Amino acid sequence: MIVAERKPLEEIEEKVKGFKKLLVLGCGTCVSVCHAGGEKEVELLASQMRMASQMRGEGVEIIEATVQRQCDREYVEPIIEQARECDAVLSMACGAGVQFVADMLEPMTVLAALNTRFIGVNLAEGMWSEKCRACGNCLLSDYAGICPMTMCAKSLVNGPCGGYKDGKCETSKERDCAWIMIYNRLSKQGKLDAMKDISQDKDYSAQSHPARYTAEAYTKAEMSEDGE
Amino acid sequence: MKQAKRLLEEVGIEPERVEMYNIGASDAPKFAAACDEMTQRARDLGPSPLKKVK
Repeated sequence: MIVAERKPLEEIEEKVKGFKKLLVLGCGTCVSVCHAGGEKEVELLASQMRMASQMRGEGVEIIEATVQRQCDREYVEPIIEQARECDAVLSMACGAGVQFVADMLEPMTVLAALNTRFIGVNLAEGMWSEKCRACGNCLLSDYAGICPMTMCAKSLVNGPCGGYKDGKCETSKERDCAWIMIYNRLSKQGKLDAMKDISQDKDYSAQSHPARYTAEAYTKAEMSEDGE
Repeated sequence: MKQAKRLLEEVGIEPERVEMYNIGASDAPKFAAACDEMTQRARDLGPSPLKKVK
């Protein structure tokens, strides 16, 4: 999932300065799971902002709402009317959600309350770790399910380099060498011969931005003149 | 509780204003002591910053 973290209150307060009526808009999917921008976090941020506003002697009106996903038109549409009654929207979604809401509410001001960090997994309570860089050309089948693009500091596809020591990367003693991890897992799988294969050059063409994907089977069909 | 204190501090409200006590339903003396402690703490801190501003 997409992992994000909330910006410091001070930074958020600076951005919302001057707006009298704000909609704090949460997102009920990824950022809800990582406790950054779900319904509970909307309530907490809105409460903090109300207190801060009261202490400054201002009367900022703060409205709360959370939609299932801010990156899906059908979930954003129901709150458009409510949003337009405000001076600005403070989105607690990932960067994709903020932009999608800003597009749908144009020319309204839509502000970001979170820093979007990475695509990752839950390691333990309150801990997440990056696992995927969305490179568009997945190599995991070749590397025992460990992504060298993400886990290797150099994103090497023919590692390891000469910089590892005791299984750790030269960039940090805390960081496991991705290629030692790949070696160890291939060893457990009895597939160490795979280490001898020379990987082809990584195809970076899929990484042109902004990337776009169309699932043909699910696009809206256009009717022909004879009704088929 | 740590998180609640952090959120208050971020706004500029003294984090000591909130506390959690684990007290058994039959432990009246402990409850009374906690009430006394929080009352004294509130007196020491003075009025809430939210009430100071008009």
